Amino acid sequence: MTRRDHISSRVTSAQAGGLGVWLRGGLAGLVATALLGGVAGATNDTAPSGGTFAIRASKALICELDGAQAMDRAVILVQDGLIAAVGSEQELDVSEDTPIFDVGASWVMPGMIDLHSHVGGPSGYNDMVFQINSGLRVSATATPGNGRLRRPLAAGITTILYIPGSGTNIGGQGVLLHTHKAGFEDVLVRNPGSLKVAQGDNPKRWGYRMNRALMNHHIRYSLRQGKAYAQRWEAFEQGEAEEPARHINLDVYRDLEAEKIAISTHTQYFQVVLATLRILRQEFGFPTFIDHGSFDSWRLGGVAVDIGVPAILGPREVMWPTSPTRFPQDGRAEGSAWGFQKMGVKLVGFNTDAPVLPQEELPLQSAMGVRYGFDNSDMAAVRGLTIVPAIVCGIGETHGSLEVGKAADLVVLTGDPSDPRTTVQYVWIDGELVYEIPEGVRLW
Amino acid sequence: MIPSALATLLLCATTGLASAAESQTAAVANDQVNVQPASSRKAGATTAPAGEPGGKGLAIKTAKALTVPLEGEQFIDNAIVLVRDGLIEAVGPATQVAIPVGYEVLDIGDQWIAPGMVELHCHIAGTFDINDMVYLTNPGVRASTAVRPGDPKLKQGLAGGVTTVLFIPGSGTNIGGQGVLVKTGLDDYESMEVRNPGSMKLAQAGNPERWLIRPGRSFMNWNTRNTLQRGVAYAKRFEAAEKNGGPKPEKDLQFEVIRSLYKNEAQISTHTQIYQVANMTLTMVAQELGLPVFIDHGTFNAYRVAPRAKELGVNAILGPRGIDVPSFLMQSWAGTNPERIQGVAAGYQERGMDMIGFNTDSPVIPQEELSLQASMAVRYGFKWDNMETIRGLTIIPAKTAGIDHLVGSLEAGKHADLLLLGGDPADPRVGVDAVFIQGKKVYDATTQRRRW
Repeated sequence: MTRRDHISSRVTSAQAGGLGVWLRGGLAGLVATALLGGVAGATNDTAPSGGTFAIRASKALICELDGAQAMDRAVILVQDGLIAAVGSEQELDVSEDTPIFDVGASWVMPGMIDLHSHVGGPSGYNDMVFQINSGLRVSATATPGNGRLRRPLAAGITTILYIPGSGTNIGGQGVLLHTHKAGFEDVLVRNPGSLKVAQGDNPKRWGYRMNRALMNHHIRYSLRQGKAYAQRWEAFEQGEAEEPARHINLDVYRDLEAEKIAISTHTQYFQVVLATLRILRQEFGFPTFIDHGSFDSWRLGGVAVDIGVPAILGPREVMWPTSPTRFPQDGRAEGSAWGFQKMGVKLVGFNTDAPVLPQEELPLQSAMGVRYGFDNSDMAAVRGLTIVPAIVCGIGETHGSLEVGKAADLVVLTGDPSDPRTTVQYVWIDGELVYEIPEGVRLW
Repeated sequence: MIPSALATLLLCATTGLASAAESQTAAVANDQVNVQPASSRKAGATTAPAGEPGGKGLAIKTAKALTVPLEGEQFIDNAIVLVRDGLIEAVGPATQVAIPVGYEVLDIGDQWIAPGMVELHCHIAGTFDINDMVYLTNPGVRASTAVRPGDPKLKQGLAGGVTTVLFIPGSGTNIGGQGVLVKTGLDDYESMEVRNPGSMKLAQAGNPERWLIRPGRSFMNWNTRNTLQRGVAYAKRFEAAEKNGGPKPEKDLQFEVIRSLYKNEAQISTHTQIYQVANMTLTMVAQELGLPVFIDHGTFNAYRVAPRAKELGVNAILGPRGIDVPSFLMQSWAGTNPERIQGVAAGYQERGMDMIGFNTDSPVIPQEELSLQASMAVRYGFKWDNMETIRGLTIIPAKTAGIDHLVGSLEAGKHADLLLLGGDPADPRVGVDAVFIQGKKVYDATTQRRRW
């Protein structure tokens, strides 16, 4: 999907080397570049799309988990949908014929990732015929670029984990999708994206109304079957056993056993999260993350760190002392993100549970995390929208930060994304321009 | 119970996490906030703390004072705020304001000062006995009877910087009764009260349509006009008696509040939204009866009335729904791009209106998130080149409620209702570090348990 066939057809200005002095030429087609070191490409007035181009911004949010977080006067070089280079404008060499898109005072950052979304399709993601539905795939209902994804894209959210509802204990398989409008194969990041498990609350309403003890039994029973199935395949692959019969409900556990995907777990309250940690992670060893993690769940942050379970928090970010209490408190509003961070959890991210909260308000979730105590002094809020969810769902090698070799999912915006007053101006997915806001077209 | 040493540790941890990038400087400033009042208390336990009535003067030095007067410059860098007897004595650049001898000096470094926020749509200043629905019009009912000083929700609102609220009846009937203007952080009703009646609550469309026999908008409109018309006639009889010296008419509890309205001593706060309904507010209340009124909520496509509202001098206090999503109410949506979200505040602003404020309808939205209403307005297109966000949280609601001579800006003679905070109040990541009401420190995140 190339929106512009002639990337450099409107090159109108020239750059006087690394001094940052701009000579607006106005001579269409003329590319006059003085080579005084540093970035040397031809400047572009319109946002480029596809092929090779570079973006120069006043600040780049790098978002490495450990390491570089921000770089001033940065240039990001994109080649064939991937990030080819990242560097300061003084240091980075960009060839003369590479179009450079200078975004002035704006910032550039990796596309944001929401690991709890139900708006990847119109409906049909919460089938409740059975209480355990490991074989169901929401990808069957995915509708790329549907109306509910337009505004998230305009907010800089480039990837979602579209997951089943929480009406049953195992709702089925989520799918990782990009948010732009294209064919399913073009927006597909990974399928299955996760296995959805729901504990407590919602699934209790199923059929004849179950309680947590029976539900936990069901979950353990299913995971046991799945793990045994995966191990039979493992043995077969190592030549130690006969080829097992395929079982459509259990195939997903092979991906879990191989740690290719994780279990996204609808879990909140101390006691329910404790069951999540003990069963899904400690008993079965599957990659698992806490999804929601609201109320007093954060008190288990220490255990979660020890056994390697990250937390993707939302849409309820705070517990009020005035809300009906189930547990002792000290009279203060407690932010979920504050709590998990305080307990030492480094992989803290945010979600919207869209449409519970509008998907485009994902960055607001991080702002409210900060409001209610989450320490953002080293940009943890922005990591919670980018590299953390990428790592948590297993796409950290290819997405979530501005690092060489990763997908060129880029967002240009007027400032810090964790300030809701910031406006997103341009979005690229795999190096293709998928959103921009010229006057009159912006979505808000 | 948490052992006290551990509690202190927890407290340190929370305050340390408080305000994003400024945490270090804020922490330094906070130390200074603590040191001075503590030492003054040691010096003489019997005298009131500096700034309070009976205490000595207090001079606060700040990196930025958001003064937000109705007209003129909206902020002062490197400012000094002088507080005495609970009032602001002077505000100005440090180079121009001399600190009088004997004043206690509070240097808050990089922290900012802003006026306490004014919230004109609050249901949490007391018990929820504020939505009586025996009659369809209840102008005699008073929300002041339900006020509960120190309500925990009010304390949370205070920690979010809200110092004055209009505590109003619900919208279950066409006229829910009389609201009351109160300060949030004080201990007893008498000191809390700013004005009673604070407003008369009128509700049009939506909620009152559910009342008993399910009245429709035409009947409700007639019923409301009937009540107001009779009230105005009552007020005029009093006016005539006062002018001509004749015998005063017999008092009627139902209509006393409409006398206040008629004399412009209180306003009608109107639950109104959707173009057609808001337009009827303007026609019925402002144009036909000439009573002081403001649009409360004003959501969906009600922004289309903005030019007419401006002409009639009717302000808009917007929220808690900040956007008009075309897919939600397509039949009334007026935009051109069917995918565009219309910010409600932006809608009024784009149509030339400037008297725009924000509300929470707490507990619909937690009161401490009042400032977030302004942030989200910006996200959805509201321009804030001249501090319109802060103005919409302070001076504009104060002016709208007719209490701008008391609160809403940092100007000499007004109540010393002050917020000390790590930056722009309209950035939701910024926490309020301390709150003063009438010179009295009523919340201090560094010495009390931070409320979040």
